[in-house]
Amino acid sequence: MTAQAVEQRELAVVIGLEVHVQLETATKIFCGCSTRAAEDEEPNSRTCPVCLGLPGALPVLNEGAVEAAVKIGKALSADIPEQTTFHRKNYYYPDLPKNFQLTQYDAPICANGSIEISVEGTRREIGITRAHLEEDPGSLQHKGGSIDTADYTLINYNRAGTPLVEIVTEPDFRSPAETRAFLAKLEEVLEYLGVFDPTRDGSLRVDANISLVDADAIDADGGISADALESANRTEVKNISSHKGAEKALAYEVTRQRNAIQRGRAVEQETRHWDESRGITVSMRSKEEEKDYRYFREADIPPLAVSDWKERIPIPELPDARRDRFQTEYGLDAESASKLTSTKEVADFFEDVAESFDPDLAATWVADNLLGELNYRDMAITDVADRLDEFTRLIELVDAEEVTTKNAEEIVLRSMLDDGDDPDTIIDREGLGKADDDEIVGFVEAAIDENPDAVEDYHDGEDGALNFLVGQVMQKSRGSADPGTANQVLREQLDG
Amino acid sequence: MYLWSIETLTLRARLLHCMSESSVDGEAVKHVAELARIELDDEDVAEFAEQFDEILSYFDALDEVPAVDSETELVNVMRPDEVESSLSQVEALANAEETEDGYFKGPTVS
Repeated sequence: MTAQAVEQRELAVVIGLEVHVQLETATKIFCGCSTRAAEDEEPNSRTCPVCLGLPGALPVLNEGAVEAAVKIGKALSADIPEQTTFHRKNYYYPDLPKNFQLTQYDAPICANGSIEISVEGTRREIGITRAHLEEDPGSLQHKGGSIDTADYTLINYNRAGTPLVEIVTEPDFRSPAETRAFLAKLEEVLEYLGVFDPTRDGSLRVDANISLVDADAIDADGGISADALESANRTEVKNISSHKGAEKALAYEVTRQRNAIQRGRAVEQETRHWDESRGITVSMRSKEEEKDYRYFREADIPPLAVSDWKERIPIPELPDARRDRFQTEYGLDAESASKLTSTKEVADFFEDVAESFDPDLAATWVADNLLGELNYRDMAITDVADRLDEFTRLIELVDAEEVTTKNAEEIVLRSMLDDGDDPDTIIDREGLGKADDDEIVGFVEAAIDENPDAVEDYHDGEDGALNFLVGQVMQKSRGSADPGTANQVLREQLDG
Repeated sequence: MYLWSIETLTLRARLLHCMSESSVDGEAVKHVAELARIELDDEDVAEFAEQFDEILSYFDALDEVPAVDSETELVNVMRPDEVESSLSQVEALANAEETEDGYFKGPTVS
């Protein structure tokens, strides 16, 4: 094919992902060392003979990690096979103290699942080929330079042995934007399951396989033939650590491959490293081929037969289902339902509030006021998890008209977040308790005395005068007067 | 033990398959050495090729072993997700040849 002909080709993007997820267990996958890094912990202070790979140590599988994997399998509508086994993946690199990684090979714990995503109104089903359990390696520091120019390497095995689930998708993505939507959805589901903490550093790591094929190789449903896939050279992009990073890295890679093809050059089949700070992918020295890993069964880990756990282990209602239910059960619009199901904690809190108060009031307070103010302060609901009863109390005070909505939003809620006080304390301190009628009469009399011009204007029939006087009353009451009552008392005094 | 033998045989079959002949040549030795990050000169390569051949031939003996019953395999051997005490940093580093600031220290990698 000539370069001229190549330029005419319409190209389609084909992407598949491998997502490594750190599981939220208390201990490592094959030993009882804690997975929680203390602040400023010392290197190599959370290790034992198993995760250091000392001779004769016996790894024993963590039941919690298996449960988490089964939950993930259920959430992905995947099969949990009758039997699943562990293998050694052999390679020499010092992040593995044993010179092999304990992982799963031909019998992973989850197979044949799917996740539905929606990008710009188009729904796509992304196939999940498999998900398997494995151990995280330790972490390396390249001293005196970058990975290529360093003088020596320092190794910390505290992370070694942290349980990971590697989720492998079918090559079903047709754009970088779809991968971003998928990762956001996956993270949301994993959070709901309570098996994943996105705030942990490096808790989600992504590798992506990407190739460009002739657009006519893609059928109407976005499917692609095995032949077309096989004949296109693909690159594997490593070192992606966020949704946004995935979209950026893959957009870069699409452009790079498209340029190569349009200039009549072949795309080299290779592994590339995403350099986040420079915003480019760079070629990595080619690594081992799969056969070089010399996978073989780990004789120290007997097989698992946990397909029946699928029935036994419950999982919570997942975000999509909950979103739909919030719309029908509470009559919320799509946007509020979506905000209120963004995390499980928010959804649980909303339902808790909606049980005692009007759902619209609950939705406004949780979705708009609370989340809005938290967001403004770069906080999440998890940061105030132990104070949720105080927010319920504030909603109760608003509902009982003990404080005006305006004061509750603008003074009490903000002070609760900024100063850490409870709502009753703030209302007392600021004198925000709703003014009673006697107090309002006092404010009205003062407003009339101080503004004779406005009173005259009112009697001359000027519309704005009454509003001005109501404003004066509100100001004197520091917002604690009910505007309707103020209006009424003013009229009585002025007309009477 | 039965299980182990099967794995070893499979490994050998794979090794032989990837070399597509029955004796170990220099290229195979160099490849295995590279995977193990070991540098070999030509003399070493010739010596190891011979030794590999010899070692692999030992496995032929297994072909003579009659079929034996395997032990019933265990399933679902797991431990509860409960924290146990770890080694101290000093203990963890006790066998290391070189350390720095609580880290294991090693040569550059890439």
